[in-house]
Amino acid sequence: MLDLLHQIPTAFLFFAAAGLIVFLPHGITRNIVMLGTPIVAGAQIWTMGMGNFAQMPFFGFELELMRIDNLSRIFVLIFCLAAFLGNLFAWHLRDTTQQVAALAYAGSAIGAALAGDMITLFFYWEGTAIASVFLIWARGTEGSFYTGMRYLIIQIGSGVILIAGVALFYADTGTIAFDKMTLGEDMSMGSLATWLIFLSFGMKCAFPLLHNWLQDSYPAATITGTVILSAFTTKLAVYALARGFAGTEILIYIGTIMALFPIFFAEIENDLRRVLAYSLNNQLGFMVVGVGIGTEMALNGTASHAFAHILYKALLFMSVGAVMYRTGTSKASELGGLYRTMPKTAIFCLVGAASISAFPLFSGFITKSLTLSAVAHEHYTWIWLALVFASAGVLSHSGIKIPFFTFFAHDSGKRPAEAPTHMLLAMGITAFLCIFIGVFPNTLYSILPYTVDYQPYTMEHIAGQLQLLFFALLAFAVIYRAGLHPPEVRAVNLDTDVTYRKILPSALAYLAFVVIAIFKGLTGFINTSILRFVDRLHHSHGPDGSRAASWPSGAMVLSIAALLGLALFVIFFS
Amino acid sequence: MANKPKDNPEDYPTLGRWMNWVDQPGNDRKIFWALVVVCLACFGLEWTYDKHPYFDIESVKGFYAYYGFVMFAGLIFVATCLRMVIKVREDFYGNKSIDTEEYPEDQIERIEHDA
Repeated sequence: MLDLLHQIPTAFLFFAAAGLIVFLPHGITRNIVMLGTPIVAGAQIWTMGMGNFAQMPFFGFELELMRIDNLSRIFVLIFCLAAFLGNLFAWHLRDTTQQVAALAYAGSAIGAALAGDMITLFFYWEGTAIASVFLIWARGTEGSFYTGMRYLIIQIGSGVILIAGVALFYADTGTIAFDKMTLGEDMSMGSLATWLIFLSFGMKCAFPLLHNWLQDSYPAATITGTVILSAFTTKLAVYALARGFAGTEILIYIGTIMALFPIFFAEIENDLRRVLAYSLNNQLGFMVVGVGIGTEMALNGTASHAFAHILYKALLFMSVGAVMYRTGTSKASELGGLYRTMPKTAIFCLVGAASISAFPLFSGFITKSLTLSAVAHEHYTWIWLALVFASAGVLSHSGIKIPFFTFFAHDSGKRPAEAPTHMLLAMGITAFLCIFIGVFPNTLYSILPYTVDYQPYTMEHIAGQLQLLFFALLAFAVIYRAGLHPPEVRAVNLDTDVTYRKILPSALAYLAFVVIAIFKGLTGFINTSILRFVDRLHHSHGPDGSRAASWPSGAMVLSIAALLGLALFVIFFS
Repeated sequence: MANKPKDNPEDYPTLGRWMNWVDQPGNDRKIFWALVVVCLACFGLEWTYDKHPYFDIESVKGFYAYYGFVMFAGLIFVATCLRMVIKVREDFYGNKSIDTEEYPEDQIERIEHDA
């Protein structure tokens, strides 16, 4: 049975399940397939061992569909786990579109992570884009339709840039293998190829200025869709960067900016799912820095952080989603005091908050510290200081803001019932895993790409982290009690997407107005000039014109007689 | 869901009733002072172990405490200033955004806790 299972590429398991559920009735049968698929896929990867499996010829190329090594395996395993937890959270769904999209999306992400060549990567890369947009459109509103279109343009654009880069890369090197590349520093074709591939990965990874699709689209997806979305696309991009560009120094600086700027936006954002999207962007920054450092310790930090992050971020999205499911809103200005009647959801949210804030005994602590230690080890002082600051910033928006303004703070007067059982179960399992990884770090360390020689629980490390977090909490408490904390108000904050959502369309509309005005003016002028000319001609040469009046018909007879006389005269003398 | 500020806490789930302690009069002060004590205790830990710093600045006693407090306060201040510059009304992007949309009622299940 296992041998048979090992013959099938993991992604195909998901695609087969996505095709199968369409014919199954809603309810328990379909849900068993939804939950069973990631379990079977995870078991398959776990038992297959390392190596390249499933080659396929394709227009003269040899595609590698199943490259399992230490780096791809951990990403595939966490993708399977995320798909299971997301589908459990969505147990109540009776929407075939979303269910098919969720399976196809997870399958595409897993297929991409297992791709041994860049053509396979491209197909799955686009697969994630196309499948995931249905999780946004499934909301079924006008706003979600437009948001989905923006999302799709950027995601498909990333794939188009990728295949352009791959084509140039093949022309330059003669290979399509997806391995470590070097960013070129000259103007050659090979250099352009790697930069295009890098840009493509950067778009999906939400690099600064390429990030807006993330904060735009994730809050627009359905409640369950956002949980699924949060796991795959961006972490696939992190994996792709780790595979292709480990040790690329520019990533250290890009990652640091990514870790820093979202914390300011998250602090003042009202929509809590958008706060989490900014927070996600900030967490990606840590991972990108790890890739940029590129040492074994740093790459372990990136992989472990991605693993832990998928869990606690999903947990936070689930808890806010559960609140939304019961109240219809995720706006901080409309929420508050919900711990009274949703205490279990509140506790799960606090576990997610503690994990992302990297409190000792929670998952974030044992993963983020790997990256920070790797940065310190390489003596990047300013980068290290910036990342420690960003860690305090994480506490601010995800550690405090999300649980505090949802479940505590002022009483909104809302008294919703506790989340449904399946949501509590999904959150409970995720919360358990966050704590389990934090308490037993070696379980995660044992599946990292490289051997881990690191002890997170030293007195120095624990004391330093506790000081950082508790004094940051104290700063919050002082500021909040003093009434200086920015209040939660119904508003939107502009980000750089205002350029393509507002300024550019306005500029185009203005340009169109000017061009139309000039065109109308010119054609009007020409038309009136011609009409006036014809009028004048008519006036002078028309039947009633002055020229017509001074030339009687007798004059024409006379001129013909003169003409004939002239002809006679010429003939006579010729 | 109408505001019900005078509802009966006895109707809350057990866990909710326990957690309601945080909203009892005076308890917010207790929590604050407990946090101060915890902070002081964490600061005191500095004298209980030997440091092996990567950077000189880590050798400063209580570096993480100062850094955490000051940078967090700075973050709030800068974010507050940033809001003055970038805040716009909720319907700024009009119907091309979900900002002012209600979440579709057929996709959620509003239930009161005492229903």
